[in-house]
Amino acid sequence: MTQPIPISALFPSQVKAVDVEIFDPPMCCPTGMCGPTIDQTLLDLNEMLMTLESKGVSVARYQMASHPNMFLSNTEVMKIVREKQMAALPIVVVHGKVIKVGGYPTKAEVEKHLEEAKS
Amino acid sequence: MTQYIFFSGKGGVGKTSMACTHAIRSADEGKRTLIVTTDPASNLSDTFEQRIGHQITPIGGVPNLWAMEIDPDQATQEYIDRAMAPIRLAFPAQIVQVMEEQMSGPCTAEVAAFDRFTDFLEAPDDGSTAFDVVIFDTAPTGHTIRLLELPAEWSESINAASSGNGQTCIGPAAAIQDAKNKYERALAAMRESGQTCFVFVLHPEAISIKETQRAIGELNKLGINNYRLIINGIIPPEGAENSLFAARAEMQSHYLTQIEAELPYLKQRMFLLAGEIKGVERLRQVGKIFFEGTAAKTFVAEHVPPQLKTLATPLEDVRARLQPNGHQRTLFFAGKGGVGKTVASCITAVWLARQGHKTLLLTTDPAAHLGDVLDSPVGDVIAPVEGQANLWAVKIDPKAAAETYKTRILEDARKRGRPEKAIEVMEEELNSPCTEEMAAFDKFIEYASQDEWDSVVFDTAPTGHTLRLLELPVDWSKQLDVKIFASVDTTAADDVAKKRFGKVIEMMRDPVQSTFTFVMYPEATPILEAWRAARELGTVGIHPGLVVANMVIPAGEAGSSFANNRRLMQEKYLVEIGERFGLPVAQIPLLPKEIKGLPMLAELGERIYGTEKVPV
Repeated sequence: MTQPIPISALFPSQVKAVDVEIFDPPMCCPTGMCGPTIDQTLLDLNEMLMTLESKGVSVARYQMASHPNMFLSNTEVMKIVREKQMAALPIVVVHGKVIKVGGYPTKAEVEKHLEEAKS
Repeated sequence: MTQYIFFSGKGGVGKTSMACTHAIRSADEGKRTLIVTTDPASNLSDTFEQRIGHQITPIGGVPNLWAMEIDPDQATQEYIDRAMAPIRLAFPAQIVQVMEEQMSGPCTAEVAAFDRFTDFLEAPDDGSTAFDVVIFDTAPTGHTIRLLELPAEWSESINAASSGNGQTCIGPAAAIQDAKNKYERALAAMRESGQTCFVFVLHPEAISIKETQRAIGELNKLGINNYRLIINGIIPPEGAENSLFAARAEMQSHYLTQIEAELPYLKQRMFLLAGEIKGVERLRQVGKIFFEGTAAKTFVAEHVPPQLKTLATPLEDVRARLQPNGHQRTLFFAGKGGVGKTVASCITAVWLARQGHKTLLLTTDPAAHLGDVLDSPVGDVIAPVEGQANLWAVKIDPKAAAETYKTRILEDARKRGRPEKAIEVMEEELNSPCTEEMAAFDKFIEYASQDEWDSVVFDTAPTGHTLRLLELPVDWSKQLDVKIFASVDTTAADDVAKKRFGKVIEMMRDPVQSTFTFVMYPEATPILEAWRAARELGTVGIHPGLVVANMVIPAGEAGSSFANNRRLMQEKYLVEIGERFGLPVAQIPLLPKEIKGLPMLAELGERIYGTEKVPV
């Protein structure tokens, strides 16, 4: 039988730095391919993230169900989640800084923040 | 080492009786034995005549024997609880609630049932509850195969999830990562011939033989090789004193020869008995007949007095439930696999077509027998049935439907100008186990919403599976309600989808637009199963309108003590059907040969429903 994951195991000892992190709302399927209709927004997002990755930007997406530790280990994200609950999600983080709450960004938005972080 | 015995075969062939007979025999030999059912419409409790349910329960009167009925709903809840435990600790209530609602989808139920099932293929950590023998009274074949196929697909999905995009559609990945090894061990145990045996129970009949060959073929592909056959329902010498049963015995001998020639596995035979197999004592008697070769006539039928009540429903009451009544009418045939849904739906569709109604006959049964009964091929696109005007037929093959669905989605993506790399990812994602279920349903809605038919006759999949399929539109409109992050584009698409589902649900609930017909043998267990299934449908606001009793021995042809005993037993249950369901009952007679081909279907339709047209 699958055991519940002990809370201590939720915190990995080291987290490598990622350029763009997306904290998704709970969803059946992060690709938008599941359910009775195909979610074009999520497909657009996937495509945008793939484009960024092809330019050497590292990207990570976190699901509450599969990566609860990534939520829990980010104090700022958890603070927003506790305050705004569902309305907070998705949360987008660029170089550790929250750039958008409650919606997915456009490619231009992400690129702008990536530029700012560089300078 | 624990031995595993899987009982497989189409519902209604006596699988549960044989599984229970083996379980008692094994326990009586002093082996600690557990019998488990994964069938959503389980009948272990009925056979042992005691409450069992979703926990390991000792069976009264049989030391060393335990039983468990896996309850899919409860298994799902346990699975969700386990997966949600860390989430509940850390996240706000509103988020927890949304996640739980999303986990209540149909895919989670499938995952959970399998998850629970594999628990029994594991040696317990503490060694305390180890069994010498675990017997699985598995779900009807089509569904069983799907369950067994899943670990292979999941292993792929899990691999893809951990290496590729870290995304998968089958429940929380964290829980799955843990489960991966368990599923692999489960499949390994099933492949180990020294440890696991698959017992196929079949009747000496064409459809039963075909089904067994198909099922063995599927298991072969999964690397499972140890099979045994039990040929059940063989008419004993004393049965052949009656001319109807003698004709059927003759038919059986032909198929027994075919089985000998075509199925090269260890075989055992079991007789059709004059009375019902229920309760520990009678199961032990069956064991003596099966294992020791005691004569079948030692199984003495219980005394059943002849019924005084009239059993026949006026034909116009039956017809009123079937004919289109100014509306298009969809007729659903429900009931456990093997009770004659396909035969009943073919008879009805042919009868409607001959009355001049433009009729579409369709099936979602993954092991579709429609073409066998019509004696005319049925394909994946709607086509006229040759030799019968006004009749069209189509088969919804979940695998083919999934392919079509995939192609449509990917073409749409290409049209939207998505790059090839993104499309590759989508394609990979569409290989998830849920796609088939979803696509099959999508296809059903497509046909059910076509206005050109006077009648749509739906030969549904076996009960448990059917219910899940039919409950989908309700689940989905619920899921649409919680899908709150949709873009404008998606919201519009969701609205369209929701309207479409809404229309189908409304149709299924409206007795003018549809009739749910339950098909059953006039025997205790099939009646109980159908009644439970009907009650479950009632919870989604759908109520049956007609009952078809199949294989009824005609009163004039019960002229031997064997046939008479079986006829009396049937009469008792025909009365029970009337009382329990309070609905018109149509009767399909037991015939000297199998029901097959259009002329026979046409003749039977007139015998069962009459020739008179109901004025529209």
